Amino acid sequence: MAEVHALAGTEVFEGRRDVVRSYGSLVIGALLREKSFRAGVIIIAFVAVGAMLAPAVAWLLGHGPTEQFRDTALTEMGLPTGPTLEFPLGADGNGRDVLVRTLYGARVSLAIAIPATTLAMIIGTAIGLVSGFLGGRIDRIVSQGIDIALSFPFIVTALSLLTLNRGADGKVLVAPSLVVVLIITLFSWTYFARLTRGLVLVLRRSPLVEAAQTIGASKAHIILREILPNIAPVILVYWAVQLPTNIVAEATLSFLGVGVQAPEPSWGTMIAEAQRSSLYQVQPWFLLGPGIALFLTVAGFNTLSAGLRNVLDPRRHSG
Amino acid sequence: MVRSIVGLLLRAASTLLIVLVIAFFITRIAYRNPAAMLAPRNASQQAIDAIAHALRLNEPWYLQLWYYLYRGPDIQGAPMGLAHWPPGLGYSFRKQTAVTDLILSKVPVTLSLALGAVVIWMTLSIILGVVATRRQGSWIDSSISGVAYVSLSVPTFLSGILISYFLFFQLSNYGIFWFPSSGYVPLTENPLEWARHLALPWLTLALAEIGIFQRVVRASMLEVLGEDYIRTARAKGLPEWRIYYDHALKAALNPVITLGGLELAVIMGGAIVTETIFGLDGVGRLAINSALEGDFPVIIGTTIFAAACFVLCTFVIDIITRWRDPSSIS
Repeated sequence: MAEVHALAGTEVFEGRRDVVRSYGSLVIGALLREKSFRAGVIIIAFVAVGAMLAPAVAWLLGHGPTEQFRDTALTEMGLPTGPTLEFPLGADGNGRDVLVRTLYGARVSLAIAIPATTLAMIIGTAIGLVSGFLGGRIDRIVSQGIDIALSFPFIVTALSLLTLNRGADGKVLVAPSLVVVLIITLFSWTYFARLTRGLVLVLRRSPLVEAAQTIGASKAHIILREILPNIAPVILVYWAVQLPTNIVAEATLSFLGVGVQAPEPSWGTMIAEAQRSSLYQVQPWFLLGPGIALFLTVAGFNTLSAGLRNVLDPRRHSG
Repeated sequence: MVRSIVGLLLRAASTLLIVLVIAFFITRIAYRNPAAMLAPRNASQQAIDAIAHALRLNEPWYLQLWYYLYRGPDIQGAPMGLAHWPPGLGYSFRKQTAVTDLILSKVPVTLSLALGAVVIWMTLSIILGVVATRRQGSWIDSSISGVAYVSLSVPTFLSGILISYFLFFQLSNYGIFWFPSSGYVPLTENPLEWARHLALPWLTLALAEIGIFQRVVRASMLEVLGEDYIRTARAKGLPEWRIYYDHALKAALNPVITLGGLELAVIMGGAIVTETIFGLDGVGRLAINSALEGDFPVIIGTTIFAAACFVLCTFVIDIITRWRDPSSIS
């Protein structure tokens, strides 16, 4: 009898593996049929290739992202030149190559937004899991904490925190871009915490959790092994939803001079330089280069996440 | 109902108090030698010492915090703390004004900006959302979706620059001066000029929100239209427009109101980008300028103002949703 049981057990597991495998191929198939997902993937691949090729382009053109070519890139009146063979997207007010800076800008933007969103996802999910599952007083404290975090105005608080980063002698303590990552994390973990908490509240009363409780599984086991794997796909989808918001957040901070510091090529800083000097009226690509790059990146992630949501989030059927 | 409102109020008050304490600590630690930063430019050492004394900057932090919360600095014998009437948020030595007066003087600008933008984006999003639902799957629906995705992918600072370039700079090249690119005229002075000066900022803010809200209206409408009572209404033979605007929209508006309240709160707390690009002297500009100058009583004040807007808006949303649907009280 025991042998029969063991046999049935392995069969069940094999079957389960098959189910998982076919679920995976179903999801991939559905995603590939989703138009917005395909469009998003293509746009993001384009941006990613641009970011990867940045050093190669800089080497080909012989222009570093922060090098100034005041003799060749500025006219006699000191105005930046438009697109030429040497400067495909023209130059900026300081005689730097707009194309090279825009490509490097993709690296800066993604290098801040991706870690910040991931960190916020991890923190928010952990807090949401605990508060949704345990409920009671802990849940009340967490939701008050979320209220407090949401009440802070983003930009002014970011500015205070960046000032905090300066030591007594006026030197920065840690790299400003690291502080920007932390600021964006601080302002987006609430999103994941609320999402996770909502998902956990539904699952907590499901047969899945009840069964685990009946066989005496510990709370940690239920949270990590039963609930987390079930909500992980939805949370990953919302990682892709939050990412473009955080890309815009970084660009906005840099635009206001509060984020990534010049001369590092951030799209926000570049657009701010174009606007402050009004030189984009002479050399439109000074504004359009970083502007289009920013738009493409954000639009790419927005369409990608819309496609992901249509396929993977059971709560949304349209969008 | 009354009990739950009292509970909400208590929670709102405690949230504000905690925000105030955190803001106090962040700014007090962030700005070293605050007395020198707070003093007007070219102030004498004596004046700086007097400010340090007035703010009790030489005392331990808990006394400073208590003093800030309770009494505040005495200006001409009048305390400026929270626990007096009228309650104050301190004094800006840099601008020689009480912080509360300073903020209140900027509120009309920000309020005009926020309310005008809300009206524009809500109206347009609801119309576009309902039209997209009625023509679901058609080219109208997909082109509205396309516009929505473009609008939600352009950051405000970029659309603001483009709007002011095309609708101000280019038009003025042709001798058309419909929309000024900066400045503010109070509504009470000249309503037409007020709207003319705010047109471009409204457009900038509304454009960013329409993308989000059109999607929300559409999704929510589609969900509601699948419900039984809509089928009943159809079976009764009601005209289609009444089903859409009377029945479905009423139910579909809940998520729109919730999200709208939150966005309104964020803009009231400071539409810093829009105010900066269009030179509007609102709360947002006050906040960022004082943060750049290190005028910490104003930073704390504007932070509290933003938090209060947020708390107030969530409170009002709560009441509205309860009132619209009493069964949702948990």
